[in-house]
Amino acid sequence: MPDTLSPEVAPDTAETNRSLRLGIAGPVGVGKSSLIATICRALADELQIGVITNDIYTDEDARFLRSAGVLDPERIRAVETGACPHTAIRDDVTANLFAVEELERDFAPLDLVLVESGGDNLTATFSPALIDAQLFVLDVAGGGDVARKGGPGIGRADLLIVNKTDLAPYVGVDVEQMVADATAAREGGPVLALARDDEKAIAELRSWLLELLATHRAGQHVPQDPGPMAPHFHADENGGYIHSHEGEHAH
Amino acid sequence: MKLSSTTLAMLLADSRLPVGAHVVSNGLEAALRGGMAPELAPEYMCARMATTVLVEAGTAIVTRALVAAGEIERIARVRSEWEARTPSRALREIAIALGDGLARMGRTVWPESLLAGSLPARGLPRPLVLGVLAAEQGLEAGDLARLVAYEDAQTVAAALLKLEPLDPATAVRWALEACEYFEAYAPSVTVLTEPEAIPAFSGPQIEEWAEAHTSLERRLFRA
Repeated sequence: MPDTLSPEVAPDTAETNRSLRLGIAGPVGVGKSSLIATICRALADELQIGVITNDIYTDEDARFLRSAGVLDPERIRAVETGACPHTAIRDDVTANLFAVEELERDFAPLDLVLVESGGDNLTATFSPALIDAQLFVLDVAGGGDVARKGGPGIGRADLLIVNKTDLAPYVGVDVEQMVADATAAREGGPVLALARDDEKAIAELRSWLLELLATHRAGQHVPQDPGPMAPHFHADENGGYIHSHEGEHAH
Repeated sequence: MKLSSTTLAMLLADSRLPVGAHVVSNGLEAALRGGMAPELAPEYMCARMATTVLVEAGTAIVTRALVAAGEIERIARVRSEWEARTPSRALREIAIALGDGLARMGRTVWPESLLAGSLPARGLPRPLVLGVLAAEQGLEAGDLARLVAYEDAQTVAAALLKLEPLDPATAVRWALEACEYFEAYAPSVTVLTEPEAIPAFSGPQIEEWAEAHTSLERRLFRA
């Protein structure tokens, strides 16, 4: 066999087939995978979609999504994060970038690539080096006070989802209050209360995504970093102020 | 950009380098799941020094020599020789995944590199990418060989602390003892210049574990 350096995969053509890359972050068990299934069901007829899952253990989320039958199983790929799901979406996105680019190349042209983070904690957010926009997901079963606790994803993800609202009566959570708290924590940023079977909320989510896609395609969408910290309050003699660590600042 | 060999070695050995390397245990998880006792980790590190590390270091050293001599067209031969010495598909795949990550970083940091020029953007194993960067940026052969060895042992040590926690300083000591063990081999590897001369010691048990690892359920590390 002659010696060759030709790679086992074709060169990247990602820039010519650039999708909208949307991150889905949030703690373990809030319903990130099922939210992805919901998005696929709502949009798979009109958009070409791909999914990258990030798991702490191998590819369980990818297998769940493949078995959900909402998308061609080959369009769902798993990235293994070596026990560091936070690193893989924020400070070292190498493996995820390769996975997104390969998916975009193999199924070109894709409109939307959903990147699911491995379930982590309230501080895990995506780097804009990997995704264009991100959803942060909470659920009512995790407690009505979580939204108030804040965090970069809760405070400044492009959209905050309060999931599993259908469970609210069983866990004693006031959904309206939780959404109000979340809206306050986000200084008015968008919050969507969602349940798997809530058609009205799903329609709202669908509109939000299509609008984002249109803005992205028009070249008007600028990816925002939610940052490593939540905006927080400083007391001072003028009554205090809230800031978000956008500039240099020493405590 | 002009850096000392020391700075380059520190950079490339730094686990904080964003090249996607945190997903590997250098086969340690596979070994433990295959029944190796955790207290044998020091011997495991040394066994790698005498086998896979020699192949990787030799591949990097010869690539460095060829690039330095301007014999770019012979890099393909290095790749073939590396493949012939790495019969496990799983081990080839992870070496290429790590090479892709390193090459991606290299292209951005050093846009004048061959990695951004005539070499393919994907599909080069990590030791080959290391050899290219070493030649272009001035990492000396001795430092390059020791970088490969150090990084190999430290990856095992760091993975051990996740899989079978112990006093972390003990794992550091084991990694350094493995590096010391490698010193006996370093002089003979460092002087290599021909692809055919790359050491051909294999670790069949490491290869078998690596293959078995790809089908394991609930693994923490990719390899």
